[in-house]
Amino acid sequence: MKILVLNCGSSSIKYQLFNIEDEEILAKGIVQKIGMNGSFLENKRSDGDKVKLEGEILDHESGIGYILGVLTSEQHGSLKSLDEIDAVGHRVVHGGEEFNSSVLITNEVVKKMEECIDLAPLHNPPNLKGIYSMQELLPSVPQVGVFDTAFHQSMPAWSYMYAIPYSLYEKYGLRRYGFHGTSHRYVSKRACEFLKLNYENQKIITCHLGNGSSIAAIKNGKSLDTSMGLTPVEGLMMGTRTGDLDLGVLLYIMDKEEIGTQAANTLINKHSGVLGISGVSSDMRDVEDSAADGNERARLALDMFHYRIRKYIGAYVASMGGVDVIVFTGGIGENGPESREEICKDFEYLGLRFDHEKNKGLRSKEADLSQTDSNVKVVVIPTDEELVIARDTFEIVKGS
Amino acid sequence: MKKEKLEDYSLSKNSKKKQQPFKLGIVGCGSMGQEIAITASQHGIDVVFIDITDERIEGIMRSINEQLDAMIRHWGMTEGDKKAVLSRIKGYLGYEVLRECRLVIEAVNTKKPVNSLELRRNIFKKIEAAVCNNTVIASNASTKVIDDLSVSLEKPERAIGLHFLSPAYDVKIVEVNKSWKTSEEAYEQTLKFAKMIDKQPINVNGTPGNISTRLIIPLINEACQMLMEGVSTIEEIDVCMKLGYGLQHGPFAMADKIGIDKLMRWMEGLYLEYGDVKYKASPIIKRLVRAGLFGQRVGEGFYCYENGQRTEKEGSIYNLGRMK
Repeated sequence: MKILVLNCGSSSIKYQLFNIEDEEILAKGIVQKIGMNGSFLENKRSDGDKVKLEGEILDHESGIGYILGVLTSEQHGSLKSLDEIDAVGHRVVHGGEEFNSSVLITNEVVKKMEECIDLAPLHNPPNLKGIYSMQELLPSVPQVGVFDTAFHQSMPAWSYMYAIPYSLYEKYGLRRYGFHGTSHRYVSKRACEFLKLNYENQKIITCHLGNGSSIAAIKNGKSLDTSMGLTPVEGLMMGTRTGDLDLGVLLYIMDKEEIGTQAANTLINKHSGVLGISGVSSDMRDVEDSAADGNERARLALDMFHYRIRKYIGAYVASMGGVDVIVFTGGIGENGPESREEICKDFEYLGLRFDHEKNKGLRSKEADLSQTDSNVKVVVIPTDEELVIARDTFEIVKGS
Repeated sequence: MKKEKLEDYSLSKNSKKKQQPFKLGIVGCGSMGQEIAITASQHGIDVVFIDITDERIEGIMRSINEQLDAMIRHWGMTEGDKKAVLSRIKGYLGYEVLRECRLVIEAVNTKKPVNSLELRRNIFKKIEAAVCNNTVIASNASTKVIDDLSVSLEKPERAIGLHFLSPAYDVKIVEVNKSWKTSEEAYEQTLKFAKMIDKQPINVNGTPGNISTRLIIPLINEACQMLMEGVSTIEEIDVCMKLGYGLQHGPFAMADKIGIDKLMRWMEGLYLEYGDVKYKASPIIKRLVRAGLFGQRVGEGFYCYENGQRTEKEGSIYNLGRMK
């Protein structure tokens, strides 16, 4: 069965074509700058063939049209015809309280997704555009929605509620939803397979660290808490996002700098975090280089970044009553031995014995970084959200 | 990596002729024209503007650049956003580049205290000669009736008023002023543009001055009247309205922000149209304009401005003249 996975952003579409039986990626690529000057499509086939197609891509539907065009082309294609596509899986950012698992997309489901637009006005509309386009282009092919928020729907109310008047929760659905759910679900399960542990009775802390970062407490296979909230700005310090911030600070800034909600939104999402503190970059490699050269602000940014993750790990140990496995994933989690080292220090009191040698230079591959006598296992598991979407799509389509 | 043409890979279903992307034309790129250009570009729309010399086009691009820098300083944008915004704005001398535009906005900034009707009519005519049949032609004029401008067009039904308030990138509304001749298609196209730039359209039925200008002018005039009567000070009148009614600015700070010269032109335009004294420019407004104290833009009006900070002028109405 061949499954096409789509991740539609506001001006881009990422895609992967899977042969799901052996989980082989037949082709993958990206459409960039939709509706803008200089739009293009890049396609990579499993045999190494790469092509960049340049031209006008006016909207998501034509972008998806070109994806299907290149996938079925003689020169760069991976399919003989579109009939070979058995199902399409879509990444959907916000599923609100409606969706706690992946679903087969029906008209009723689309209607409910449209109702979630208010909660993610930047992300959900392009996700929906991808779904509408596919319904138009491949009307008989089943489609599945996989939600970033779904995995965290198992959080109990005392974990997801904000201490605001309850009426506001009822009126607007204001609460913690959490993101990166597909990643947290995949790496936590995979870590248990890798370590040969029973997923159903572990206390796991998953650290998805990248330009956007979040951390989750997963107890007995269910998300108990996570650091991102109603929006992805809450929680850990990120590349350009503040993470946790005293709300009074934002009100103070808005008053003193005489800025409105729009500029405040840009301030907390794009000017802050590692970039805001270091003044160097949002890219951790640049900041690490700069800190090594003696830049004190770069050093401070790194210290803050690591400290806040340690603080969350401590909090989640308390909330779960212990921890069995700590998982690192995401760009920094998978490729940042320095960060992993810094984050894992001082956890000896938990019985965690970190293997510094194994950690050194380890990048982008599964590994156990704890010593054999460690009470807490520390592992690196590269995330693969597209594969999860493809697997979910397969399971749902097979079941239907 | 090999590079090829995208069009060779279109699906047959997809090869059907699609509408071109929305392109905006602006004729007259003074302060408001620039703000409209920035706003549209921020929302991914390509913008072409027309001005009369290469030097002015360079100056406009410099000014847009400075405005974007100011937005970065005030946390509203990043360097990356700025680069993207600039890449979508281009200036030209000839009207022929307007041919691909689905909407062209006349935003002429007449500094002289003259009636700009003829000038705007001529521009409308030139725009119509350059654009396609279905292009909408809009005017950002604050106090003109769209019917008076559209008489110069062969297809007056394509004309509409589209009034932005400054700063256009922050103000969340745009006034859409239909004339009795404006076609449904032109109106729908204009609403679509408003939606694309994330503005709430406010419908106005063919009145000069829209809603915003007609209401702000009597407020400022009355504030000047109270000042002349010695009712209170500039600062206190402003604070009263700001805190009392939750306005962002009091009437004098608002006048300085709009530009007192521009305000006077609005007043003259509306007084000419309606003949009602509530629109007649207050003597204080005229006095400030004569002294060149146009407000925030020049550093002095009802208040003084230094490094972006507003300070009160000492004394009373008699000291409204230039500070030493």
